Amino acid sequence: MATQTIVLPGEAISSDVLPIPSNPSLALKLGPGLRHTPPSTITSVLAGTLCIDQRKNAIWVENNSGRYVPQPNDLILATVHHSSTDWYHCAITPHTTLAQLPQLAFEGATKKTRPQLNSGSLVYARVLSASKHSDPELVCYNPSTGKSEGMGELKGGMVFDVSLGMARRLLLARQREEGGIAVLEEVAEKVAFEVAVGRNGKVWVKSGGVKETLLVGRALQETDSEGLGVQEQGKLVKKLLRGM
Amino acid sequence: MADTTLLPLHRADGSATYSKNGYSVVAAVNGPIEVQRRDELPEEAAVDVVLRPAAGVGGLRERHLESVVQHTLRHVILVSAHPRTLIQCTLQIVTGPEDDSVTCSLPQAASDLPVLPALLQASILALLSTSIPLSMTLTAAFVAVNSKDTLVLDPSVQQIKRASSIHLLAFSSRGDLLVVESEGDFTIDKWEEVHQKAKLICHGEEGDESESEDVSMKSDDISKLENVLKDAVERQIAKEQRWNQTIG
Repeated sequence: MATQTIVLPGEAISSDVLPIPSNPSLALKLGPGLRHTPPSTITSVLAGTLCIDQRKNAIWVENNSGRYVPQPNDLILATVHHSSTDWYHCAITPHTTLAQLPQLAFEGATKKTRPQLNSGSLVYARVLSASKHSDPELVCYNPSTGKSEGMGELKGGMVFDVSLGMARRLLLARQREEGGIAVLEEVAEKVAFEVAVGRNGKVWVKSGGVKETLLVGRALQETDSEGLGVQEQGKLVKKLLRGM
Repeated sequence: MADTTLLPLHRADGSATYSKNGYSVVAAVNGPIEVQRRDELPEEAAVDVVLRPAAGVGGLRERHLESVVQHTLRHVILVSAHPRTLIQCTLQIVTGPEDDSVTCSLPQAASDLPVLPALLQASILALLSTSIPLSMTLTAAFVAVNSKDTLVLDPSVQQIKRASSIHLLAFSSRGDLLVVESEGDFTIDKWEEVHQKAKLICHGEEGDESESEDVSMKSDDISKLENVLKDAVERQIAKEQRWNQTIG
């Protein structure tokens, strides 16, 4: 991520910037925002920063804005809209087609014992399949292990909206080093809370009281909108904690 | 010089403002969203353009402008990337040139062309900020030919009134002509001249040698329109990447 190249739609990516694979048989991976026109033209279709990972032989365009489009394996926060005999129909983003969550796609769910979700309840789910020609499908357990792994209905708490880029940063394994996020760790030293981050730009926060929940949510939203660095996040948290 | 902002509206998926030559336009893009069954296209995204005038409700003029913008955007957006969805672009004209009302009473000057470049530029900026996949970007230029047969770039209302012909040309980022709308009396040769000049404004490509002297001087202070898009995007990315700069 040393070089910052900004691309606009329609710009051809010159072959000099493409990563050089360590193994010639390794195929180049094109991430979001790039289009391959045979035989060997690569053009960008989004405006953003061009990111290159030499080790993985991957190239993609990163940007922060826009509407979330479901991709397989993304963890998301969805709202149950209504249920039918076998499915819960869930809203991932407003005004898009509803995603389908099978009523049996929960940990330990059988035909006799299945979770009862009313319309309006919030679920933390994984996108099982999403293609442009079909409605997305969600699951609330890991199909290989049968365990919930933190997914399922989220009770209580509050949902806060953040930008898509912020959600991606929060979901990184090493938040502080790679994503530059220290705000959650800073708050956790003083306040106990639970948090679930959805790739669709939603963060669910639950804490002891409304005040604490709002503090965490505000800290996240302000970090996002102001683009705060690690030190500034520390200052922000101190300021918010003083106000409690 | 054009004035742009990206994402001024936080409720829309993407938005932009664009002001130039007395016109100021706010564009908001929502999409891809669910489409009404009757507008649904099985293989591609439906593009919907809604235009609101600065005052009053839209009429025939607005419908015409909508259709021009809609047909342009349909070719710029990669509609096949989001089949059976809707990409909605709402354009609101915020201000027009001050003496606009005076000219509207005259049949010749009541043209819809002067606002079109601002509409096209605002909508493309809003699409960029929405991260909708586009096959290219576009830039639009507005040129008038006055009675002395000289070209006037971004003419004022008075100049439009006195002009013998006015032309709107939009170019894709590859330099292809996307939109051309002309009004008034002109010859093919004159149009070719207008086309060359507009292309130069949009792309800053080297014109032919005979003109390069005065044109290159002009294009310096105008700066090519493509850079306006790039500048706006760069500013937005710098804002978004602020956290990253403070780390390293």
